[in-house]
Amino acid sequence: MSERLTSRLGWLLGGVVLLAMPFYLERFWLQAGVFAMAAAIGAIGLNLLTGSAGQLSLAHAFFLAVGAYGYCVFAGDSGSATGLTGWGLPPVLAAVLAVALAGAVGGLFSPIAGRVRGPYLGIATLALIFIGQHVLLNAHDLTGGFNGRAVPPLSVFGFAFDDSATVVAGVPFRSMEKLWYLGLALLAAGALFARGVLRGRPGRAINAIRDHQTAAGVIGIPVARTRGAIFVLSSMYAGLAGVLLALAFQHAVPGYFGIVLSLEYLAMIVIGGLGTVSGAVIGAAFVTLIPQVLTKYSESLPLVSAPGTGGVAPGEASRYLYGAAVVAAVLFLPGGLARLPVPRWARKGARDKAPAPTSRNMEVST
Amino acid sequence: MNGPQPLTVTGLTVRFAGLTALDGVGFTVAPGTVHALIGPNGAGKSTCFNVLSGVYRATSGSVRLGGRELTRETPHAIASLGVARTFQNLALSAHSTVADTLLLGRHRLTRSGILASGLRLPRAAREAGRHTERMREIAAFLGLEPYLDAPAGLLPYGVQKLVELGRALCMEPDVLLLDEPIAGMNPTERQHTAALIASVRDSLGLSVLLVEHDMGVVMRLADTVTVLDFGRKIAEGTPGEVQNDPEVVRAYLGEHQETETPR
Repeated sequence: MSERLTSRLGWLLGGVVLLAMPFYLERFWLQAGVFAMAAAIGAIGLNLLTGSAGQLSLAHAFFLAVGAYGYCVFAGDSGSATGLTGWGLPPVLAAVLAVALAGAVGGLFSPIAGRVRGPYLGIATLALIFIGQHVLLNAHDLTGGFNGRAVPPLSVFGFAFDDSATVVAGVPFRSMEKLWYLGLALLAAGALFARGVLRGRPGRAINAIRDHQTAAGVIGIPVARTRGAIFVLSSMYAGLAGVLLALAFQHAVPGYFGIVLSLEYLAMIVIGGLGTVSGAVIGAAFVTLIPQVLTKYSESLPLVSAPGTGGVAPGEASRYLYGAAVVAAVLFLPGGLARLPVPRWARKGARDKAPAPTSRNMEVST
Repeated sequence: MNGPQPLTVTGLTVRFAGLTALDGVGFTVAPGTVHALIGPNGAGKSTCFNVLSGVYRATSGSVRLGGRELTRETPHAIASLGVARTFQNLALSAHSTVADTLLLGRHRLTRSGILASGLRLPRAAREAGRHTERMREIAAFLGLEPYLDAPAGLLPYGVQKLVELGRALCMEPDVLLLDEPIAGMNPTERQHTAALIASVRDSLGLSVLLVEHDMGVVMRLADTVTVLDFGRKIAEGTPGEVQNDPEVVRAYLGEHQETETPR
């Protein structure tokens, strides 16, 4: 059998398994899966910016928040008794607008993002996190303040992604089952788009800017404009991830969108592999699923205890774990999990053709 | 582009704080010729290249390509006017394949943006196909075809230098600035590359401005030679004239000829 055919079969099999999940998994795991897919979309965006263009950003959580709250405001009930602002737009339109809003806010910041290089941009973007947190906590009309606001369920042409059960093959499909398919579709679209960008002309340009900024300019690449554009694209990915996360949470709270979330996204792309789409997806799955696994099995695991009972809570334990994973990835697996040695039969499909930097040469080049 | 135009440098002065790197330098690269810029280390050759390609700002003076003033332009604007350069110390992405590196040179000639590439629009695919074909021709011209799928960073130094040259040629420039194109190569590679530079001039009709320390190659390739020393032009002329110029001999060998040896 040719390698191409086996890799196709691998993708097909993986796709079927993912599509069949909602028929077998309980709600807890479905929700964990939707979180992972949303995170994967966000991580793809951050990896375009940090992995491929060499621009560090700590503001990813801020753009996730813009997407999440943008959706809430655009789709929320207008003039409701809650005292919150809502435009009452159709949810699909609201989701599109929220992504566009994240892109527009990224565009406002892009004059800075285009001119400030590598780690320095990381420091500049830190400001966005603090501004974001301040606004989220104080703009009560928009965000609901500290306690957040409810997220209106998505509905596409009358098909609602809410908890009303739609029975498919004897299995009641509620919100998580439906969101699972939505997340899968959005992730596939986002991954394919990013892959096209990376393998095409813009991908070559941002890699050149990352590796040799001066040479990139001399070759004819408008460095500042290209960096600004990739920052906007990355913000839009974050915005889309934010919308999906909000839908999965069903309630958006400001505390979630802090600096820790930004750092988690950076951990995802370092663990998974800088500069590749598959790296972002693998890293996102790793970082989002570990806390869930630890929570679910906290009783049967040594050293980890249920939250509030003393000892190491699952959330803490998972942070230790992926902290260690980041260190391990940098030391032993510079290309991230995506570059793990794969068996020959799986190799072709599992690897991105796009050239990837390793976490080692990122440190040197930034 | 309507054929190469003369590149005229007049009164070019570059100062870094107290240091004058270039002091009123002027020369003209005639269309379709190889013009060599030589001089001892620190003479200002690389500074001159950096001004010509827009990386450094000139303190005063002008650089004109045909009718266009280049000293106020950004590097990518200068590139889009048809000026390409290579770097003395390689500026290649180690993980990018040779094919991708060469295609990078097509950046200014192509249009596909984020949307067209991300959505894989037919026009992006057509454009990529067209330019990949031309890129392969250029790779064949340089003898780089066997390496197209290899990551640039894994190749021998001499081949990497050729990839740099190829990337510059992929820009379809009118003026090619080569910063020590054969430094670090073995004798076979040197000969091959020198022949390539001559054929770039002869068959493609480009103007080449060449910085090189290998005097044998300079004297064989160059139509005109400009000699810099401590940021000043001390001589200009055909290779034969320059070789016998007492100023040049002094710059290279020192005041007392018998006490020092040439580099």
